[in-house]
Amino acid sequence: MMPLAPLAVGLAFGFLLHKAGMGRYDVIVNVFRFSDLTVLKFLMSALLVGMLGLQLLSSLHLTQSVPIPQTYWLGNALGGLLFGVGMATAGFCPGTVAAGAGEGRLDYLVAGGAGLYAGALAFGFAYPKLMPWLATQGNLGSVTLPSVLHVNSWLVIALIWELGLLLLYAIERGPWRRGPSKKSA
Amino acid sequence: MKPGRALRATTWSPYAAGALLGVTATVSMAGFGKRLSGAGAYQHGSGYVGRVLAPHSVYWKYVMPTGLTWEIWLALGTLLGALASALLSGQFRLRSMPDSQWQSVFGPSVYKRWAIVFLGTALIELAAGIAGGCTASLAVSGGAALAPGAFVFMACMFAGGIPSARFIYRKSRPDTEAP
Repeated sequence: MMPLAPLAVGLAFGFLLHKAGMGRYDVIVNVFRFSDLTVLKFLMSALLVGMLGLQLLSSLHLTQSVPIPQTYWLGNALGGLLFGVGMATAGFCPGTVAAGAGEGRLDYLVAGGAGLYAGALAFGFAYPKLMPWLATQGNLGSVTLPSVLHVNSWLVIALIWELGLLLLYAIERGPWRRGPSKKSA
Repeated sequence: MKPGRALRATTWSPYAAGALLGVTATVSMAGFGKRLSGAGAYQHGSGYVGRVLAPHSVYWKYVMPTGLTWEIWLALGTLLGALASALLSGQFRLRSMPDSQWQSVFGPSVYKRWAIVFLGTALIELAAGIAGGCTASLAVSGGAALAPGAFVFMACMFAGGIPSARFIYRKSRPDTEAP
C-alpha cells in the first residue's frame, strides 16, 4: 500500500494535537475536573466542522463511501466508561500517546507504546469469548442519526450545531466559567 | 498572524486547531474512506505477536488483518506531526514524566508514572476494542458521520472520566497544585 496518504493525514493530525496541547497530562485530566475545558473545545470544534464538511461533500457526491462505525449500545457504552477511567487516570488517549511521544515524552513512547500493544493483544484474546455476545447487544449496524430518526441530515446537523454552539457559548460566557489553571504552564 | 509565526507558536486556540482537525477528518473520510484513528494501529499490529501465541484464534485469522495497514502509517505520521510541531515551537525535549501537576498527586517516582502509563494505555486500548473505536476513530470521526454510537461513547467517556478524576484529586484543589 502507498503510505503517503495516511502519513500525510497523520502529520496533520499529530501537528494539530500538539498545537492544541493534547500531549500534556494536565490538559487531558483537567477537562474531567472542569478546571480546563480545552479538550472539550477542541473535540466539539472538530466534531462540528467534520459533520458539516462531510455532509457538504456527500451532498455534492464528492465522497468515497464514508466509513460509519457500528452502533451497539452496550459495547459503545461499556467501552466508553472504561476508556474514560483510563484517560482520566493516566492523561491520554491512543492518538495523544503518539503525539506526546513526538514531543519527546519517553513515558508515552516506551511505557505507552508497550501498554497499547498489550491492550490490543488482550482484546484479541478476549474477542472470541466477549464480542460475539457484546456486539449483538442493541446492535443497529452502521447507521446514522438521520437514518434512525428518519429525518433530513441537515436538520440533525443544524440541531447539533445549535446545541454545540450553546454549550461553547455557556463555557466562554457563563457565570461559572473557570480559566485553565495558571500554574500549569 | 503570519503563517510562519503560527507554525512556530507553542499553542493554538483549541477552536482553530479543532476546526482544522474537523477538516482533516473530512478529507480522510471523504477522500480516502478512512477514519482518523489512534487505537487502530495497535490492533492491526497485534497479530504479529498474537498469531504466534494463539495460532488458531479467529480474531487474528479473520477479524483483524495483520500488516502495515493505513492505521499504522497514520500513527507514525501522528508522531512525526507532533515532532514537527514541537521542533518548530522549540518544545521538543526528551523527558520521562509529565511537566506539571502529576507529582502533586502521584509523587516524583518515575517507576510509578511508567507503571500507571502502561496499565492506563492497556486499559484504554482494551476499552477502544470493546467500544469499536477511540477518541479519534469513534468520537470525532464517528460523530462527524453522525453515528449514534459515537455520541453514546463520548457521553460514557465523560461519565467514566469525571468520577475517576474526582476520586484521584479528592484531596487537592486546582489552585493549590504544585508542578
